Amino acid sequence: MADKGIVFDVQRYTIHDGPGLRTELFLKGCPLRCQWCSNPESWAPAIEWGAYQSKCISLSKCGLCTPACPVKGILNFKRDKLTAIDNSKQVDYTDCEKACPADAIKQWGKTMSVSECMTIICKDKSYYEQSGGGVTVSGGEALLQSEFVLSLFKACQKEGIQTCCETTFYADWKKVEALIPYTDIWISDIKHMDPMIHRQYTSGDNKIILENLKRLTDLKQELILRIPVIPNVNDDRTNIEATADFILNELHGRVRTLQLLSFMRLGVEKYQSLNIPYGMEGIELDREAFQEHVAEIAAYFNRRGIHCLVGTKEQEDTKE
Amino acid sequence: MSNTHTTAIGTEPFDKTYGIGYQVHHTDWSPFSRVNKLRQDFLDRSYDIDVERLRLVTESYQAHQTESKKMQCAYAFENVLLNTKLYIYDQDLIVGEIAAPAKAAPIYPEFSVNWIIDEILNSPFEEREHDKFFIRNDEERQEILDLCKWWQGKTVDDRLQASLDEDQLKGSEVGEKIFQTNLYHYAGVGHLAIDYKNLMKVGYVGLIKEAKKHLAALSKRDPEWAAKRDFYQAMIIMHEAARTYIKRYAKLAMATAKETTNQQRQTELEEMAANCYQIADGTPKTFWQALQLFNIATALIQVESNGHSISYGRMDQWLYPYYEADMKKATLTKDFALELLEVEYVKMNNPTKLKDQGSMAVRNGRGFGGESLTIGGVDRDGNDATNDLTMLMLEGSAHTRMMNPWVCVRMHENTPYELKMKVVECIRAGYGHPKLYNDAPAIKAMMRKGMTLAEARDYCVVGCVELSLPGKEYGWHDAAYVNTPKMMEMVLNGGRSFNTGKQLGPDTGSLDTYTSFDEVLASVDQQFEYWTDQMCSSLNIIDALHRELKPLPYVSAFFGDCMDSGKDLTEGGAKYNGIGPQASGTATCADSLATIKQLVFEDKYCSGSELLQAIKDNWEGHDVLYAMVNSSKVHHYGNDDDYADELFKYMFECYCRHITGRKNLRGGDFRPGVYSVNANVAMGMNTHASADGRKKGEAISDNMGPVHTDAGSHDICGPTALVNSLAKVDHSLATNGTLMNLRFPQDAVAGIQGRNNLLSFIDAYIAKGPMHVQFNIMSSETMRAAQKKPEDYKDMLVRVAGYSAYFVELGKPLQKDLIQRTELSF
Repeated sequence: MADKGIVFDVQRYTIHDGPGLRTELFLKGCPLRCQWCSNPESWAPAIEWGAYQSKCISLSKCGLCTPACPVKGILNFKRDKLTAIDNSKQVDYTDCEKACPADAIKQWGKTMSVSECMTIICKDKSYYEQSGGGVTVSGGEALLQSEFVLSLFKACQKEGIQTCCETTFYADWKKVEALIPYTDIWISDIKHMDPMIHRQYTSGDNKIILENLKRLTDLKQELILRIPVIPNVNDDRTNIEATADFILNELHGRVRTLQLLSFMRLGVEKYQSLNIPYGMEGIELDREAFQEHVAEIAAYFNRRGIHCLVGTKEQEDTKE
Repeated sequence: MSNTHTTAIGTEPFDKTYGIGYQVHHTDWSPFSRVNKLRQDFLDRSYDIDVERLRLVTESYQAHQTESKKMQCAYAFENVLLNTKLYIYDQDLIVGEIAAPAKAAPIYPEFSVNWIIDEILNSPFEEREHDKFFIRNDEERQEILDLCKWWQGKTVDDRLQASLDEDQLKGSEVGEKIFQTNLYHYAGVGHLAIDYKNLMKVGYVGLIKEAKKHLAALSKRDPEWAAKRDFYQAMIIMHEAARTYIKRYAKLAMATAKETTNQQRQTELEEMAANCYQIADGTPKTFWQALQLFNIATALIQVESNGHSISYGRMDQWLYPYYEADMKKATLTKDFALELLEVEYVKMNNPTKLKDQGSMAVRNGRGFGGESLTIGGVDRDGNDATNDLTMLMLEGSAHTRMMNPWVCVRMHENTPYELKMKVVECIRAGYGHPKLYNDAPAIKAMMRKGMTLAEARDYCVVGCVELSLPGKEYGWHDAAYVNTPKMMEMVLNGGRSFNTGKQLGPDTGSLDTYTSFDEVLASVDQQFEYWTDQMCSSLNIIDALHRELKPLPYVSAFFGDCMDSGKDLTEGGAKYNGIGPQASGTATCADSLATIKQLVFEDKYCSGSELLQAIKDNWEGHDVLYAMVNSSKVHHYGNDDDYADELFKYMFECYCRHITGRKNLRGGDFRPGVYSVNANVAMGMNTHASADGRKKGEAISDNMGPVHTDAGSHDICGPTALVNSLAKVDHSLATNGTLMNLRFPQDAVAGIQGRNNLLSFIDAYIAKGPMHVQFNIMSSETMRAAQKKPEDYKDMLVRVAGYSAYFVELGKPLQKDLIQRTELSF
């Protein structure tokens, strides 16, 4: 069992990934490359560094990062300010980050032990108890560090803290199976039913994902399922119908809630900081019309007998 | 969920949704068209200055120049009530104003006139940037000037300027504003809740009877015989005048009824007249009459003095017997009870106070302000006290959405689920009410003031967050605003002001001289001692002047201990007496200390002299140090980080220690509060840069909250971390109250889940032990404002599934997208 994992963010008081008030750990590394991903800093399994140009004081007035850097001349400056950091050359920028007084260099990923995580998690225990919340592990792909998740969830179970694993399920079933006794709720998503299109937009095979979902529902585990609704990618009638058929026929309809997450142009700044091109640049969107379209999709699922809502909620809101 | 049982119900379902986030330009919040009309009429009226009180009071003082002060006060009050013009507004159901038309501000020359003359001549009220007031015409302008001139030399203000020594003056509002005693320097004290329960029981006639009994029993062997005689005589004159005033209203209501052609209105007016006669000659028999007596009695406190925060006590408790009796007799419906409450809520906004520019800067707003209405909580035996009125009073608040009343809900471990839900629904509506108070630390704080457990459980909130015992405490709450970062300035700079370079306080060392962090802390202690000495002695002088120049026999009658002892409130007649000055900028001081401790003494990142120079230079030319001090690399309060939180605790306790236990002239002592309301902005304008990375002129930290500078927010770990930091101090040490503002995006509280999350958050908050909390639910308007002025909105988090970012760091198109999304979500 791994006692340590690489975590790129710990957020306290999250309310979207699972019930109640939660602490959420984002684990680094993901085997998929979804073009709409809003967390590109989660992709690479190793620690990375990003540069925030707007926070940089300037090379001429500060420049403390350059003497601290182990490789001379590798830091790039544009108009006197630090720009995207080159993470391709296996350089350890830890000292640069430490030297920067302005938080302009952000280290994505930190090695953390289970007990370090638990210290933070336990600080908000009373909020979980009041709200029916707990801990959510997300990513990246949490199952890439499944042994760490296992240790962490065992520790949570000991403390009586509810656990939730958000995963793409693009992973070996054995990893899922090992976690089942320690995981109270699973959150996953179906990005596309067509294997070719799925591969085109995520670079991964959907067969593994769908297979894992089937096995999980066979075992009657608590599952919140999501569809990231991406315009002109997966929001067509054929795909939506196929998704509904799959949920009803293969998953036995055993989904607590199907949540439709409308496409948002999020993470652009992070792409820039990491010098990664943003794949969804070209999408033009009439927000109002799109939201209506998403609402229609939700209505369709509900007509098919699948409890479906727009957004990350599980209950329909009361009307005034 | 525990506590799912209660019998208390209002007219609406307890989980009725009142909306998410405040939406402007509504005219129809209330289900009662009458209330909507009265509200709109109020909003449409202008803020005038009314000369009548000034005229009538002056006339009376001129006619009674040789009488004792108490008798002068009584005759002046009587002259006002017998002669002031009366107003009954269209569709109103309750009568009684503060001897001026609704929303017009009277003048109280007993306290101060110099600033009125000065502002009329040099910076007219009509031309203020905000808080404008209008004098009706040139004749009245001249009359105000002439009358005010007669008062020059006779007021609290005049006498005070002559009484303070140089050390006190240089620290005060007329000097470097290290502490500001403006409020009671230029105006009355207020900040009390009377014993409404007893008033309802005995009425004006009962109080007069009691005063007469005490007067008859006075012994001439008592050396204070004359003072007590005048006290009772003044009280009798004033309360008889009150009865006359009420009967004048009754007559006017009858006359108006005769003129009206509308049958329904005629009946209403006749009933209003009957209500007035009943409470003038006896005690209220119905819910409506009880509200009528409440309105008159409270308004007249504000005719006697312009002290603000005249609060309504535990209104759901003392009013309940009248509601219950009417309901049992089936002479009242819940709907009409609610309508009456809402009519009274709108009326509570009428009293308006003209403030001097200096006070206005620390205390924005043209209402009197601070009229808290306390509901919920435990009773004297410790059981939950929720009743139907508790629920109705919240509904009325959501239906009126005005400045007043400042509804305060007392929370405790057995607060019923239904009440908590209604509270959350009101909060989510985003109009800023109610504020929540936590019984456990509040009761502990009351007991620290020497009260019994049963008394402590009966506390109410007065003003913003001050704790008070209705009818038993004259707490002089809100006595001064203390700019603690200014004291910290003396610590850094050898007792000298950064603004002027002058020596202000004792030289207790500077960043040039300290050799250890312990020396810094010792210096903090010495400066706080010196400046609280100056402030508290000044406040005692002001207190003495109020006693000498403006006794308060009318309101004293509502305090049983004053009635029994023959001592006026200003003479220490109340059972409990305090003076409560409040500290602002505690986190600014705490983060300053964290910077010094970490960067100068531990990491040796810079020397004390370098840091001092950077502050003196307003951080200009010190970009690296400026960024560092504001970065996540330095410990900051509000992140559940013990290093910084311990220093916050040190500052909090340091202030409380230096205030607590000092004696005042009324036989009580000083009580510390730790809050700034919105004074932190004005105080910041007048404060040089500070060691926490604040630049000159920026706001100092607000209330119990963390530091936000132009370079960024110092709390970056979300609300649970912030609350954990906040909960590390013992709030009950601040016996005059603490204040915490929390801001949530609408998104975080939207929908059933959002509602339940907010409810859980509040439960956890109350269990952790901070004393007070109020919420801001952000609207799209706020986001648009954030786009226009991003520097003020740096800490505004937008959270989406698996993703969170600071709003102002996002690109413009995304900001727009988020704004649209929020609007689509409801």
